[in-house]
Amino acid sequence: MKLRVIRANLIVKLKTFYRERTAMFFTLAFPIILILVFGTIFLDRDKLSLDLYVQDLDHTQASAKFVKTLQFNGNFKIIEVDPATDAREYAQKHKLNLILVIPKDFGNLHDQRADNKTHDASVILTYIYDPSSTSVKTKMEYLNMEFAGMNQRMSGRPPFYRWEEVSILDQKYRFIEFFIPGVIAMAVMIASLFGTVNMNTELLQKGIIRKLSTTPITRTDWILSNILYQFALAIISTIAMLLVSYWVFHVELHINAWLLGFILLDVFAFVGIGMILTRFVQEAQSAVAAANAIVFPMMFLSGSFFPIEMMPGFLQTFARVLPLYYVNEGLRASMIFSDNLAALRYAAIIGAFAAVVFALGIIATKWEEGK
Amino acid sequence: MANQAKHAIEVENLTKRYGNLLAVNGISFTVRTGEVFAFLGPNGAGKSTTVEIIDMIRRPTSGKVRLLGMDVTKKKRAIVPRIGVLPQDFSSFDRITVRETLQFYSRLFSRGNADIDGLIELVHLKDKAEEQYKNLSGGLQQRLGIAIALVNDPEVVFLDEPTTGLDPRARREVWDVLLGLKEQGKTIFLTTHYMEEAEILADTVAIISKGKIIATGSPVELIENNSNYLVLTLQSVDANAVEIIRKLGFEPVHDNHQDLKVRVEHTEDILKTLNAIKDAGGSFLSLDVRRPNLEEVFLKLTGEALHAGLAEGGEVG
Repeated sequence: MKLRVIRANLIVKLKTFYRERTAMFFTLAFPIILILVFGTIFLDRDKLSLDLYVQDLDHTQASAKFVKTLQFNGNFKIIEVDPATDAREYAQKHKLNLILVIPKDFGNLHDQRADNKTHDASVILTYIYDPSSTSVKTKMEYLNMEFAGMNQRMSGRPPFYRWEEVSILDQKYRFIEFFIPGVIAMAVMIASLFGTVNMNTELLQKGIIRKLSTTPITRTDWILSNILYQFALAIISTIAMLLVSYWVFHVELHINAWLLGFILLDVFAFVGIGMILTRFVQEAQSAVAAANAIVFPMMFLSGSFFPIEMMPGFLQTFARVLPLYYVNEGLRASMIFSDNLAALRYAAIIGAFAAVVFALGIIATKWEEGK
Repeated sequence: MANQAKHAIEVENLTKRYGNLLAVNGISFTVRTGEVFAFLGPNGAGKSTTVEIIDMIRRPTSGKVRLLGMDVTKKKRAIVPRIGVLPQDFSSFDRITVRETLQFYSRLFSRGNADIDGLIELVHLKDKAEEQYKNLSGGLQQRLGIAIALVNDPEVVFLDEPTTGLDPRARREVWDVLLGLKEQGKTIFLTTHYMEEAEILADTVAIISKGKIIATGSPVELIENNSNYLVLTLQSVDANAVEIIRKLGFEPVHDNHQDLKVRVEHTEDILKTLNAIKDAGGSFLSLDVRRPNLEEVFLKLTGEALHAGLAEGGEVG
C-alpha cells in the first residue's frame, strides 16, 4: 500500500467529481431536495389540525365562545357554514365528510346549566356526516373527546382518574428528526453503490483499468482510494444535508463519532456490493439496472422514510434482513436517542456485513485480464 | 548477464488459449536492447495477445517470457517501473487535463521529479496542456497515451497499435514522436497492421499470422528474401483487363486505391501482359513496375490482406 499512489488516485477522482455536474447534483443536491420536499410535506405532521365545518344556528355569545374553544384547543381549524343553508345539502354539494350543527337554543340551554337553574339541561349537537369517509370517524372521536372534556369542566368536580404522560425519550422528536438519519443512510448508500458501479464499469470498458494494471498501483491501493473517495463524498453530502436540516427545519440531532462510524460502514458495505456487481455484470447499463434492483427495495423497505412498524409483519421481517435497516436504526439510535448501546449493537451487525461483503468485493475485483 | 543486456525481451514457446481458441501458438523470438521491433499482422493474428502477455496485462497459458532479464509471471513488481505501455484502444479520464493526467501517472510511478513539461513538448501537446482529455481529438489522445507510457522514463516501451483509427496526418504526427524515441535509443515493441509504419519505424519486423510467426527480419531483409518477382501496377485499368490477365496465368489483385497489381517473375511477362490488354482494346492511365514492398511480402507469405476487417474496429488477439 502506497499513500502517494492512493492520494494521487483520490485527487483524480475528486477533480472528476467536481467537474461532473450530474454527479454533483445527484450526490449533493438530490438528498437535500428530498429533505426539503418531504420535510415540508410532513412539517405539520406533529401538530395535528383537522378542518371542521360548523353551522352555528344560535349565533349567541355562548355559541361563539363554544366555537372558539374548539378552535383554540389546537386540534380544529374552524370553517363556518352559513346558517341559512341546509347543512345536509351543503355537505353533499361540497363533498364534506362532517358538519357540526349548533342548535338554535344553544345559548339559552348553556346559561341555564351554567347558572345551575336547571341541572339536567342539555343541548344536542348534530353531526352531519358521510359514513363512507374513512377519516370521519377519527374526526368525530376527536370531537367526542373534546365534548367529554367540556362536560367534565362544566360539572365543577375534579375528575377521579387523572393521568400524565412520561416519554421514555429525553425529548420528544419530530418526524423530520426521524427522517434525516434515514436520508443520510440512503444517500450514502446510493452514492457508494452507484459511484462504484458507474466508475468501475466505465473504467473497465474504456480500458483505463487495463492501463492502470501496467503501473505500480496495486488492487489494494485502487480499492482503498475508492473507499476514501466515497467516504469523502459521503462526508461532504452529509454535512450539506445537516446544514440544510438545521437551517430550514431547526432539527435537534446529536452529532457524534457514531455518525462518522455509520457513514464509514455504510460506504464499506455498499462499495463492496458495487465491486461484486461489477465483477459479474460488466456492461454499464446492466450493472446500473442491477444496482437499481438493490437500491429501490432497500430505500422503501428498510425504514429510511417511515418506521418499519407501519408495514405488514412479513415485510418487517424482510426489512430486518436489509443492511440499510441497521444503518438507519444505528444512526437514529445515536442521533435522536443518544443510545450508545443500541448504536453499538447496530454497528456490530452492519460492521460484520460490511466486512464480509468488502472482502468478497476485493476478491471479485479484476485487475489482471484472462488468466 | 550479457544475454540480458543484449536482449530486452526473450519469448520462448509462448502459447495463449481462450477456451478452444488458440490465439498464440508456441511462438519464440527475441528483441534486442535499443531496437524498434514491429509485430506485424492482420486483425486477430495474435499481436495484441502477445504484447499483453509480455507487458503483463494477461497471463500466458504456457511458455516463457523474460523481460529485462526477468520472468514476467513472477517479477511484475520489479519490471513494471522499468517499462511503459500504451495499450490498444488507449483511453484516459475524461475530465482530467493533459497536464493533470501526466502528473497522476508520474505519481503512480512515484516520480515526483518527472519532467511533465518536457513530455508535453515531446508529444507536441504544449497548446493542449490544460485541455481535458474528452476534448482532445483521436490523434492528440494517442499522443497523450504515448507521453503517459514515457512518464517513468522506461527502458522498454510497448505501443499496441498506436495509430489505429487515426487519419493519415495524425498518424504521421505519431510517427514523428516515435522516431524521436528511436533517436533516444529506447527499446520499442510496436504492434501494427500498417506496413508503412513498420517500414518507417522498425529495425526488426516479425510477421504473425493465425498465432504463428511466419517471418522475422529487417524490412529490407524480408523484402530481399521474398522478392524473386516483380510487381506490375496498372492505374485506372479497364474492368475486362482482370479476365485478360487471368487467361495469361497470372492472378491480379486490386489494392486500396483500386489499382490493379500483378505479380510476375520475368520482364517478358510484363510485355506479354501489356500487349494482351492492348490487343483486347483495353486501356490504362499509367503503369509502374517495381520490386515488392513489405505489404506484398506479407500477402505472399500469409495469403491474407493486412487491412481485411480494418473497418470493423479492434481485434481480439
